[in-house]
Amino acid sequence: MNNASHLSLILDLSPSQWHLSAAPSNTHPLPFKTFLSHVLTFLNSHIAQMHENSLAVFGALPGKSIMLYSSSDVSGGPEVPADSNAYRPFKLMNSIVARNIEAELELLETMGDEPPVALVGALTKALCYINRITHTTSGSSAEDSAVAADPRILILSVSPDLSSSYIPIMNSIFSAQKNKIIIDVCKVYGADTVFLQQAAHLTGGSYIDLERRDALLQYLVMSFLPPPTMRQFIAVPKQDKVDFRAACFCHKNIVDIGFVCSVCLSIFCSPVPVCSTCRTKFPMKTLQRLNASRPAVPSANGSANGTPRPPSKPATPMSASLR
Amino acid sequence: MDPGSDSDSLDEGVLTVRGRNKAARAKGVDPHNDKGKAKAKEQAYAWEANFTRSWDTVQEDEGGSLQGAVEELMARGRRRRLLAPAAAIRRTIIRHLILLLDLSSAMMDRDMRPTRFDLTLEYAREFITEWFDQNPLGQVGVVGMRGGIGERIGEMSGNPQDVLKSLSERHKLEPAGEPSLQNAIEMARSSMSHLPTHSSREILIVFGSLTTVDPGNIYDTLQSCIKEKIRISLVALAAEMKICRELCDKTGGQFGVAMNEGHFKDLIFELIPPPAQRAVARATGGGTTNPAADLMMMGFPTRLPDTAPPALCVCHAELRPAGFLCPRCGAKICDVPTDCDVCGLMIVSSPHLARSYHHLFPVKPYIPISSLDGAPKPTKHCHACSQPFRAQATASLADGMSSLGRYRCPDCSNDFCTDCDVFVHDVVHCCPGCEK
Ligand SMILES: [Zn+2]
Ligand SMILES: [Zn+2]
Ligand SMILES: [Zn+2]
Ligand SMILES: [Zn+2]
Ligand SMILES: [Zn+2]
Ligand SMILES: [Zn+2]
Repeated sequence: MNNASHLSLILDLSPSQWHLSAAPSNTHPLPFKTFLSHVLTFLNSHIAQMHENSLAVFGALPGKSIMLYSSSDVSGGPEVPADSNAYRPFKLMNSIVARNIEAELELLETMGDEPPVALVGALTKALCYINRITHTTSGSSAEDSAVAADPRILILSVSPDLSSSYIPIMNSIFSAQKNKIIIDVCKVYGADTVFLQQAAHLTGGSYIDLERRDALLQYLVMSFLPPPTMRQFIAVPKQDKVDFRAACFCHKNIVDIGFVCSVCLSIFCSPVPVCSTCRTKFPMKTLQRLNASRPAVPSANGSANGTPRPPSKPATPMSASLR
Repeated sequence: MDPGSDSDSLDEGVLTVRGRNKAARAKGVDPHNDKGKAKAKEQAYAWEANFTRSWDTVQEDEGGSLQGAVEELMARGRRRRLLAPAAAIRRTIIRHLILLLDLSSAMMDRDMRPTRFDLTLEYAREFITEWFDQNPLGQVGVVGMRGGIGERIGEMSGNPQDVLKSLSERHKLEPAGEPSLQNAIEMARSSMSHLPTHSSREILIVFGSLTTVDPGNIYDTLQSCIKEKIRISLVALAAEMKICRELCDKTGGQFGVAMNEGHFKDLIFELIPPPAQRAVARATGGGTTNPAADLMMMGFPTRLPDTAPPALCVCHAELRPAGFLCPRCGAKICDVPTDCDVCGLMIVSSPHLARSYHHLFPVKPYIPISSLDGAPKPTKHCHACSQPFRAQATASLADGMSSLGRYRCPDCSNDFCTDCDVFVHDVVHCCPGCEK
């Protein structure tokens, strides 16, 4: 390993989810304080790995997203009291991250209802930031270009999927894929999120659902600390089953056979005469044909039709996890 | 770091079809390659008149460096692209394209380096990759023109790997003999005749020869193409021919003569973004019924894990562990998107559909901010990448550029830097401020 790597970390800072996470009724309660200390240790080890490694930390807060820390803009940071027992760069970073989170959470307290966290904002900011550092290094001088090699994004998620952000999340995933940015996801609390599963799958990252949440640091160090170039030598856990089914636009139901507008590709669970997204009217003929073919679906499924069924058919239970 | 190659790479993700705007295209022209085609240069054709020499506009800065000038030129080129009207046009999302390559002996000409043939193959591969990226539900077939006949090189396929494979074996494509436009177009036409009406049918011809040997009247072929709504686009490597221009004009395609390597690439890459659907409302008497619009039944498969027990797939009849299950008949398929070989259901994964959504919901263009007088307290950093904005305005910039390098989203009123402005509109397709 001789290339420096860049890590953009996205912290999901939803106060209500963290409150639930800390509840003693969980098998392994994880309060935010413990979480933060694990994460900071992980970030320190990322920096300690190599002097050139760069780091950016983004926070997804309810209704807004901010950059908490970036190793390239560190000048002019706050005063940190000297401590003979701590390595100064670590201390500096830890205090900047902690201070910024604290300041943001304090701002939140005045708010009433908690809007969903701005994960999309944090994700797109991380992408723009990576674009900026890769762009400037390739422009200024060739020997600097190693600094931004191997960029990756790690999302520490506690919130559930937000179905309204489906399209922006997918757009972000595709741009990450296009720029060869790996998205790793660690689900620290809550049910699996289908969008982030797809993000990890499509960008070649790994998605990990914590079993022992009190061992967060170990998961982070073992799975997410090695840069992408090292991954081929290590067996980093990857999820196997990916739910590629879609949610219909009309009811957000999960469908395995849907009706799709050829103009805008909106998905509907039943044949509709007019597309609700682009207002296109569909020909009567098609509607009749589709309506006629619909009842045949279950019977076609039941009859053998002379086609041998692949033996692996019942391998995957149809779990409807997309909301 | 020449402006030509940069604008090529930025053609990815362009939302707006620029039509025949040659001036915008000329920015991508590579200066040092101009001499190669001097023989074809008489100011007779319109495309030559509009050819602006971008290197003449470059000025050195005080330090004698071209860096700033080049950057500014690039930014301007990008900016111009973004300024095109972002009207919500309907686009053909399900496309079918036949790539028709001239494999006649004229392709061995060395006026493009290393040869026209090698360059065409190279660009064709890049084209295919980028095309599938922007048209994930499309299908591409490859036909060659060689020895007076049309030759099927790659079957119509929705899998970029299949198409790339058909183009990978150079020795099988070795140019020979005369080309026949009619034979090749007829072959391409026949392989698209079964397609449903809601999908587009397109032919892209790369033509290096100045002659065509046809068995019959090529205008008959042209007529049937018009009738079947096949859009023919042609990139000529040698010179303009009347029949070539007519094929394109009559079918609504684009015609271009490549002046050099960079221009050649620009011409074919311009055909990548999904074309806007032609205004059909008029034809049907003003109603909103669009004959090209249809409701399609699609199946969303379940992906089997790599650790699943191996089973025979219906596409290759091989034992493999991973794959997708058709939701209607349960057949196991290796790759999506495809039509189920057993029940004929179109099978796509939801990311395939989602990949096209950005064409339908583009990010609004940002407004260039040139003075900070009105704002109470302007932000110091780009909202997306946190880069500090410059405090001093730079002088003399083209229209639509901000002298402060500041661009504001009309919806969330956040300010973004030049780089992020381009990146958000060309690549991410999602404003970091408004999250949509
Ligand atoms: Zn529905
Ligand atoms: Zn529609
Ligand atoms: Zn197969
Ligand atoms: Zn089937
Ligand atoms: Zn920026
Ligand atoms: Zn915005």
